[in-house]
Amino acid sequence: MDVFGSFALLLAFICALYAFVGGIAAIVTRHPLLVKSTRQAGMATCALIFIATFSLEYLFFTDNFSIAYVVSHSNRDLPTFYKIAALWSGMEGSLLFWSFLLAVYVFSVLIAYRNRNGELMPYVGMVMAGVQLFFLTLSNFVESPFKALASPGANGVMQFVARSDGNGLNPLLQYPEMVIHPPNLYSGYTGFTIPFAFALGALLAKYPGEKWIHLTRKWTMIAWMFQSLGILLGAHWAYAVLGWGGYWGWDPVENASLLPWLTGTAFLHSVMMQEKRGMMKVWNVWLVFCTFLLCVLGTFLTRSGVVSSVHAFAQSNIGTWFVGFIGIVLLVCLGAYLKNRDYLKSETQLDSVISRESSFLFNNLILLVSCVAVLTGTLFPVFSEWFTGDRISVGAPFFNKVNIPTGLLLLFLTGVGPLLAWRKTSTESLKRNFGLPLAIGIVAGAIFFALGYREFYSLICLILCVFVAATILLEFYRGAKVIRARSGASFAACAIDLTMRNTRRYGGYIVHMGMVFVFIGLAGAAFNRDVQKDMRVGQTMQIGQYTLVLQGVDTKPEKNYTAQRMLVEVLRDNKPMMMLFPEKRRFVTNQENGTMVAIYSTLKEDLYVVFAGENPETNLPSIHAFLNPLVKWIWFGGVMVVFGTIVALLPNRRAVFVLAAAPQRAAQPLPHALSPSVTLREGHD
Amino acid sequence: MTRRRPIFAMALLLLLATLPVLTMPTSALQLSDRAKQIGHKFMCMCGCNQVLTECNHVGCSTSADMLKELNQSLANGGTEESITQGFLQEFGTKVYAEPPKSGFSLVAWTLPTVYLVIGTLLVIFVISRWRKRPATKPAAGGVSAASHVSPEMLERARAQAAKDTED
Repeated sequence: MDVFGSFALLLAFICALYAFVGGIAAIVTRHPLLVKSTRQAGMATCALIFIATFSLEYLFFTDNFSIAYVVSHSNRDLPTFYKIAALWSGMEGSLLFWSFLLAVYVFSVLIAYRNRNGELMPYVGMVMAGVQLFFLTLSNFVESPFKALASPGANGVMQFVARSDGNGLNPLLQYPEMVIHPPNLYSGYTGFTIPFAFALGALLAKYPGEKWIHLTRKWTMIAWMFQSLGILLGAHWAYAVLGWGGYWGWDPVENASLLPWLTGTAFLHSVMMQEKRGMMKVWNVWLVFCTFLLCVLGTFLTRSGVVSSVHAFAQSNIGTWFVGFIGIVLLVCLGAYLKNRDYLKSETQLDSVISRESSFLFNNLILLVSCVAVLTGTLFPVFSEWFTGDRISVGAPFFNKVNIPTGLLLLFLTGVGPLLAWRKTSTESLKRNFGLPLAIGIVAGAIFFALGYREFYSLICLILCVFVAATILLEFYRGAKVIRARSGASFAACAIDLTMRNTRRYGGYIVHMGMVFVFIGLAGAAFNRDVQKDMRVGQTMQIGQYTLVLQGVDTKPEKNYTAQRMLVEVLRDNKPMMMLFPEKRRFVTNQENGTMVAIYSTLKEDLYVVFAGENPETNLPSIHAFLNPLVKWIWFGGVMVVFGTIVALLPNRRAVFVLAAAPQRAAQPLPHALSPSVTLREGHD
Repeated sequence: MTRRRPIFAMALLLLLATLPVLTMPTSALQLSDRAKQIGHKFMCMCGCNQVLTECNHVGCSTSADMLKELNQSLANGGTEESITQGFLQEFGTKVYAEPPKSGFSLVAWTLPTVYLVIGTLLVIFVISRWRKRPATKPAAGGVSAASHVSPEMLERARAQAAKDTED
């Protein structure tokens, strides 16, 4: 199977090479047969990558310890569930996994547009093949996952060998979320290849810039959704596994995942300017280019070891390849732009500074400043070493100081932006839309202050959250009220109806509401408390309203590890509530340790209990307990962001209905608030 | 005697199962609030890139040693300044959790503000340019005289794009 997989990977490389070179020839000659054959070569590349990936998974499932990669990342007792995750736990497998997910996207695009966009698709196919070619080069010639295990024999000649068991999987990866977090994050990274291919293809094909936006909107949103989900799952994994009581440490790998998310978010907003007003064409093209380049940079940072990170599970000297690839892509993008930039001219004028257009510009500014500041902080240790010879660390305190104010500005714009009208917003409209939410926000701020929430940034954040939530809820209320006046249905039913009539707009609002919840959770971090205590059996410790009683320490032998477990009884106001079981794990094969935090989570706060080990001075087990307010809101907000994105991807219900029943309904006038120009046409947020 | 054998075997099995856990490296250390406050200003030097007091990198002996050193220094009457100097001598400037506000590190602190100022100026410039631009219908062109693309060419390209991308 290893030869089979290896051969499939080599064939995939050849097909991708043909799809790329043949694609260029097809664009030049416009020969229909050549166009068709390169498209089919692109599909064959994907199919062969699927075969190679499944071959490697098969080698894991069958415990084939003659393959170096399987030996390094698996063992016989590793649960089947984690044998799936072992695929991306190392450098070679993760590069193949990158190719696999990219192949899923490329295959979908080639199938979806097989009979459409005839002039554009050869360009798009050629760009996609170029990206695939790079990753297949790495998988075939630099970091092959199918290398057989070999050692020098008695005569000094290398001989193939097979081990009886493998080294096992990194304990940090033996957690259920690690089976779904990397695929999501990678789906985000790879997914941005599609809008990139369309943007570059459209520029090369001299498309004026409106159509590729329409074609790639859903692909961009899918990639963005996966990226968001991947980031949140990663944060939850860090929270539940690493045991330091937090979810975001501004680690270089975390930052690397945030960078394309920030530019992708900016693109999803500024794209509306192009669709609606024909503005920001050049900007949008470059946002897509930058998002893709940041995805590659993220992979480079994770893989190259240029910055140290607890999350970088696979590192090697592959960095040079990535730098070269980023350089080539940048040159191609720059060349295409300089050659065809005249096709991206905007013609529309701005009518007023107080308008949706301006708010989008500032939204983009904040997102981009955040992105560049995070990038600077992440790479600053490298730069400082180049310039001064001293490596200067840039940790969480720096990123918090820089990003909290920009984050709050962004939150403010989240509330303001959607309520400003396109072209011009009148003073009356401003008063009508913002008066009530602003008042609600100020009252909420006074209540928070009275309740003791006096940390400056957290208080501002909570006030803004209430303000933004009020603006969003008012939007739903106003729309639902109009429908209710006609149908008489309940408010909830009317709100659902309203959402389904303009999924993009109201899906967007749901995403914004999700972000509000995330910010509420982040505001809670300022009030975190923790206590650490050595405990004898029967002893208690107090944190907030909770009393923790150590009832015992036991040992739980499992197939792949042995766990030392604390049995902690939790009492609230001296009434027994539950038992928590924080663990320390010792993995048999690689003799590495892992931890398993016990969390009791409510909307108000998380009781987070860590078995902190044994104090060498007292020989007593030690409990590190945290009381983290509002953390659950972050995960709930994340789910809402994903849900909102899915809603925004759905077609408008009413638009379909109107088309189907147009003759019968043509004579019925629509109420002003639901006029087709506002709510029925896709593309109006 | 025979009854005791299974009990003995079970006890031995339990002991063997517990053995790896008993030999786990442990790092529990209780910190005072002052130690936590000072420890938050340094990085753990194990390479995990986490703040010292937040490093619970499993099996990390570096953070345990550093925190122990910090605790002992405080217990012996050490000041924040003396502790900082001690860590600086031992690990160099990379021990700081955030860049110091002096020398080359000032660049890290200044750049975000520079980005914001330049970005804001750029946005203001773009807005003022858009405001001054004469209103034209997109179909009529509006491409500058210096452009290599005539309005007709642009219109042709638009029509081609519309035709190609028809759903």
